[in-house]
Amino acid sequence: METAPTVTVHLVGPLRRYCAGASELLIPAGTVRAALNHLERRQADLYANICDETGRVRRHLNVFVNAHHVRDLDGLETPLAPGDVITVLPAVSGG
Amino acid sequence: MSDRVILAIGTKKGVFVAESGGARRGFALRGPFGPGVPVYAALVDTRGTTRVYASSCNPFFGMKILRSTDLGRSFHETKSAPAFAKDDGRALANIWALEPGPGKKDIWCGVEPAALFRSQDAGDSWEIVPGISHHEHARKWQPGGGGLCLHTILRDGPRVHLGISTGGHYLSDNGGETFAASNTGIGAGFAPNPYPEFGQCVHKIARHDAAPGRLYLQNHGGWAEWTGPGGPRPDIGVLRSDDHGRTWRSIAKGLPSDFGFPIVVHPHNANTVYVAPLDPATRTCPGGAPAVWRSENAGESWRRLARGFPKKESYFTILRDAMDIDGLKTPALYLGTTTGQLWIGRDGGDAWACLFDALPPIHCVKVAVV
Repeated sequence: METAPTVTVHLVGPLRRYCAGASELLIPAGTVRAALNHLERRQADLYANICDETGRVRRHLNVFVNAHHVRDLDGLETPLAPGDVITVLPAVSGG
Repeated sequence: MSDRVILAIGTKKGVFVAESGGARRGFALRGPFGPGVPVYAALVDTRGTTRVYASSCNPFFGMKILRSTDLGRSFHETKSAPAFAKDDGRALANIWALEPGPGKKDIWCGVEPAALFRSQDAGDSWEIVPGISHHEHARKWQPGGGGLCLHTILRDGPRVHLGISTGGHYLSDNGGETFAASNTGIGAGFAPNPYPEFGQCVHKIARHDAAPGRLYLQNHGGWAEWTGPGGPRPDIGVLRSDDHGRTWRSIAKGLPSDFGFPIVVHPHNANTVYVAPLDPATRTCPGGAPAVWRSENAGESWRRLARGFPKKESYFTILRDAMDIDGLKTPALYLGTTTGQLWIGRDGGDAWACLFDALPPIHCVKVAVV
């Protein structure tokens, strides 16, 4: 059985309290969706801040793989390679 | 210890807490807590250890419940917030109501899209109340201007009254196990049928323990000039029921507008009720002159209370949960505006003064004497 690559999930400040203060997590995941599924199983509080109850990434969050927004790649099916960095960032909005 | 008045003020930028002695000469302000995040619901729960709750509706990271056990000097997230089941298909968009449940640590929570949750451990865990959340009407309700929200939860022994915009008034006679639409006499201005079974845009409901069976309701009025199908509906906005919400009749006569959001009952007199009429087109103070209106005979007649308010050039809105009244012997009303002013109406609303002039836009105001 093929082993999933280890990738880094980088977390912005407001999310760190939901994973014991960690600024990044190393997790095995072959795609962005697999990474989110891993968080749902292992980091449920963190996951609930990133995805709503239906499993969709929250509307005002953006997910990047390295420097690229996943919408410009293959969305949640974007494949991951060893050492890739997933970053979840709030959209620029508000007022 | 002498009385202290605690105000929880939910704003667009977090929750503030204001505290005063029982004389209410001045209020000290604390906050914002949950800074930068809108708060649409708050509760000062005086059962046992006083707890202050606030919803925190984070547009980025989702809904939270904040709880304070030190009278609003600090707030912390509860262990969880209400959430739909994964296979439900709905996602929580806002939290609109927090009310005490029957048990000492029970909290009931109304949310958007309209559904009801309850907690038995002071907000740390939540379960959905299926009788209303999975009601056969639930997928037919439509959002009002504020969203599809369950905003009013009133308990009266085994009866539970809910206000949903736009769903109408729902009544349970068995503690919330099952609910039925109970809207006979509640009009809808925005539908060809003026009196549908459900789908009314109820804005707020209030009651008093001393008047069993009576309820007051601020509905979405403002349809007196309507000339379309169904004809004008000049008196659908402010209503009263004397039979536990089974039938309703208008008590809007004498008001400058039957449109408004909050409705509040005097703590010591079930016949005294307050509304804040708004111009139906702009949803602001009629003529730019703010006023609260009081009835001392359960809505048969109304008196304008404007002493202390500006006489002109004030066009704010008072949202559905932005008016409350304390329980002191001579109670004071508290009113928050979308322009960030917090007003106190001393002597039961006879004399108004601005407590805070420049808070963020105010969504809700809840008061308790501790």
